[in-house]
Amino acid sequence: MSPAAPADGAPANDIFTTDDDVIRVRDLHLNFYTTIGTVRALNGVTFNIPRGKVLGVVGESGCGKSQTGLAIMQLTPSVGKYEGGTIEFRESPNTETPVNILSLGKNSDQMRAIRGNNISMIFQEPMTSLNPVFTVGSQIEEAILLHQTKDKAEARQRAVSILEKVGMPNPERIADSYPHQLSGGMRQRAMIAMALSCTPVLLIADEPTTALDVTTEAQILDLMRGLQAEYGTSIMFITHNMGVVAQMCDEVAVMYLGRVIERASIDDIFYNPKHPYTIMLLRSIPRLGAERADKLESIHGSVPDPYSRVTGCPFHLRCPAAMAGICDVTMPAETMIGERHSVRCHLYL
Amino acid sequence: MATVARPLDIGKKAKKLEDVGQLPQWKLMVRRFRKSKLSVAALFVLLFIYVITALSDFLAPYPHDVIDTDNVFAAPSRIVSGPNGLGIYGIKQVLNQELFKWEYQTDTSVIHPLKFFVQGFEYRFLGLIPMNVHLFGIERAPGSDPTAPEPRIFLWGADREGRDVFSRVMKGSQISMSLGFIGVLISVVIGTLVGTSSGYFGGRLDNLIQRLVELVQSFPDLPLFLALAAALPPNVPVIQRFLLITVIIGLIGWTGLSRQVRGKVLAFRSADYTSAAKAAGASNWHIITKHMVPNVMSHVIVVAMLAIPAAIGTETALSFLGLGILPPAVSWGLMLRDASSVQAAITYPWLLIPVGVLLIVVLAFNLLGDGVRDAVDPYA
Amino acid sequence: MINYIVRRLVNMVVLLLLVSFIGFWIIQLPPGSILDVKIAQLRQQGGNLQQSQIEALRARYGVDDPFYLQYLKWISRTLQGDFGTSFDTDQKVADRIWNRLGISLALSLVALFITYTISIPIGVYSATHRYTVPDYIITFFQFLGLSIPGFLLALLLLIGATQLWNQPIGGLFSPEYVDAPWSMAKLIDFFKHTWIIVVVLTVVSTAGLTRVMRGNLLDVLNQQYVQTARSKGLKENTVIWKHAVRNSIHPLVMGIGAILPFLISGDALISTILSLPTIGPMYVDALRSQDIYLAGTLLVMFSALLLIGNLIADLVLAWVDPRVRLE
Repeated sequence: MSPAAPADGAPANDIFTTDDDVIRVRDLHLNFYTTIGTVRALNGVTFNIPRGKVLGVVGESGCGKSQTGLAIMQLTPSVGKYEGGTIEFRESPNTETPVNILSLGKNSDQMRAIRGNNISMIFQEPMTSLNPVFTVGSQIEEAILLHQTKDKAEARQRAVSILEKVGMPNPERIADSYPHQLSGGMRQRAMIAMALSCTPVLLIADEPTTALDVTTEAQILDLMRGLQAEYGTSIMFITHNMGVVAQMCDEVAVMYLGRVIERASIDDIFYNPKHPYTIMLLRSIPRLGAERADKLESIHGSVPDPYSRVTGCPFHLRCPAAMAGICDVTMPAETMIGERHSVRCHLYL
Repeated sequence: MATVARPLDIGKKAKKLEDVGQLPQWKLMVRRFRKSKLSVAALFVLLFIYVITALSDFLAPYPHDVIDTDNVFAAPSRIVSGPNGLGIYGIKQVLNQELFKWEYQTDTSVIHPLKFFVQGFEYRFLGLIPMNVHLFGIERAPGSDPTAPEPRIFLWGADREGRDVFSRVMKGSQISMSLGFIGVLISVVIGTLVGTSSGYFGGRLDNLIQRLVELVQSFPDLPLFLALAAALPPNVPVIQRFLLITVIIGLIGWTGLSRQVRGKVLAFRSADYTSAAKAAGASNWHIITKHMVPNVMSHVIVVAMLAIPAAIGTETALSFLGLGILPPAVSWGLMLRDASSVQAAITYPWLLIPVGVLLIVVLAFNLLGDGVRDAVDPYA
Repeated sequence: MINYIVRRLVNMVVLLLLVSFIGFWIIQLPPGSILDVKIAQLRQQGGNLQQSQIEALRARYGVDDPFYLQYLKWISRTLQGDFGTSFDTDQKVADRIWNRLGISLALSLVALFITYTISIPIGVYSATHRYTVPDYIITFFQFLGLSIPGFLLALLLLIGATQLWNQPIGGLFSPEYVDAPWSMAKLIDFFKHTWIIVVVLTVVSTAGLTRVMRGNLLDVLNQQYVQTARSKGLKENTVIWKHAVRNSIHPLVMGIGAILPFLISGDALISTILSLPTIGPMYVDALRSQDIYLAGTLLVMFSALLLIGNLIADLVLAWVDPRVRLE
């Protein structure tokens, strides 16, 4: 029995809270009401992103990591309904009271002033995330004209310079190109340029390199890391690739079935993982120099059907350490087990 | 308290939701289709109409082509309750003294009884079993004036030659409900075959077929229909003309479908499973029938469903212009020729009944096709 | 670009020649010719037609020539801009066609214009308000419009109009305006005679186009770039009208190709009901009376309209979507 807050709720003593969190997500619930059933996409998601840090959000497909990112932008599809929780956004260290994003209307002026200006997003598919009928330059200028300046020549000039910043050769020409004339890697650079064009406080990158080949991926990650250092932008880096996490992130939140099940610094995640799911995720990465005898492991089974509800810990169906009568009955509360390390598992209660 | 997860959805509903991920594809399609109430209703309407079509000769009290000069433009009969059960009033001849013309008037003193399962004209039940029993008919009231014309029931009135509109709609359903359907079937078979081979084999065959498609598509649809229909010899037997019109509809409609099928097959041809089948030594025939055709089938079905109402409309248009079904056969389009004069349609509104029937059928096919499309391909 | 258009035009000429050949062959298939009808008429009028006179007529119209010879005569004259003389009225085919084609074209273009101006907003509205009451109402009318054959709608409208007010039936003008110069009153009179055909053509094509527009826009709204546009902080209206609609009008553009001949020939039935002297009924009559030169010319003309429409559609599409390359 946990003495703390309700099992699904946010812990009262959240050790991750800092004085200057860009984003504080608390107990976020999101349901999708579709014609063939209700999908419980997020079931109490809680995490913080401290200013200037990169938080990796990892998990398998369908665990809710992308929906969490979209929720911060309020870009959830219309069948989705927020059933509780808060998302607090703090624009600058001097901000008196943070804004609760969920209290703003989806298409309200305040929300739109944040979107693309203070918080921007890069999507997984560079091939489809640029509008095919407009030039790359005009699509970048659109955001600048909306948030930064009314002067078209200036917007153009800023678009070209940001394209140069993201490592585009011949940025003038690229600005006049249509997306289909660019390669996948170039398009993702253009997307990054668009996302950074208004120098946002927070960048949400939803699997930005998944669709790219390995060399391009490395270049893009380098670029993001460099720009992050230069601008001090906080990044929420959504990925399923632990290798990318190791390269990019300061802290990690591991998600499973719409919940954060382990939060830790990058070192703790890799050297001291606690949740059986995290441990198995790490074991499934091939490593150079590993002993031949160490077999690559896979996690048994797959993520349960999203329309169903699992009793107890959502992972107990696949967990090698599951304890009958406990794990399949009760949802474990979040336990703080280190300086910046928490886990939701009965093994550590 | 704190340890208990949220209340669980137990009972039937939760159970039902649980297995969605495990359901086979077709069951999901059926489930999605059933979500669209209108499409389900349309399906039942069409089934009902097809049952009626199958029973049309049994339901029709009279042959569709019996001319009855005593009952020109007779209004729909009013069914009244008489001493011997339901029946219709008799009619009597009255001399119009001003116009010096015989006119017919309702004679409320006589009620001819309505009888069920009466003997009438000969027909073949379901096209097989010779029969002469009909669902209903009118018997001459006992003791009524034997010189008065034979009493007849006109549920939906009579046309300008005194033919029973109800019987004609029944008979017409045999052509109208089948011609479009068969025509589309022909074009679907051609379109799928041509499109699949064009996409699968490629090369010169593909080039040749594409030029042919381009040529056929250079003709505007309706004018080509009309030219072909006009070229049909006018004095062939009814069945033959029916088949020829069907073939015309089938021969023109396949080009669009064949292009779509070709496009899909081109995509499937480079898919991994095709390479795998080839590597395993499968024959072209095997790959086409086992991999290509099943994959394009859902698209083909959807296109076909939406093409049927269009084909029915084409038949109606051809027959209406006098270039489609010709008398003595009858189709709904042909019946509309009688209603094409506004004056007739206003004075004898029952002549517009085929319009209503036609509209219901075409609407039902459209709704059904739409529901099927949403069920088969929810993302399109 | 110029290169492409030239190539398409050459291709078009080849196709039209093939169309004319096949079309002419189909049209001359039925036995007999309109000359038989004419001769019968002349006989009825009591004239004592000599066998030699009949022979002369037959030779003049070339009805006994083999098919290919008839075709060659017709096509070579057509290429010289001489569409021949109609059997039926002895009028120059060209004059008869231009009179009626002008009216058909005018009516169709009005209908086309109305269709496109209302289809896009209705399609966008029903896609963005999916599963709301107005969407259901729009959908209901779409299905009704898709299902009712145009000529039946024309008939029903005509019946309704006749019952409600003094709807003129037949012809394009009231007798007093036929030879009058164009004036406001004549225009209104013209409109009174032809509004039904415009309404019917508009309803039928709008029902189809809005349905397509709705489906396409729903597709496009699921695309990633729409989400990208939203993530920039654009207004929802800008997202839809600038980013989504522009990508979903392809079928509407492609529709230009098919819709003009559809409208022009589709009025065959409607004009028959309304007794309007447009080009559609002329074609049907020519087919019925075996006036092969007139019918053939009209068929080729419809086909040319279709091919030109397709070319225009392709050019517009390349202009709308930079991904489309003209080759």
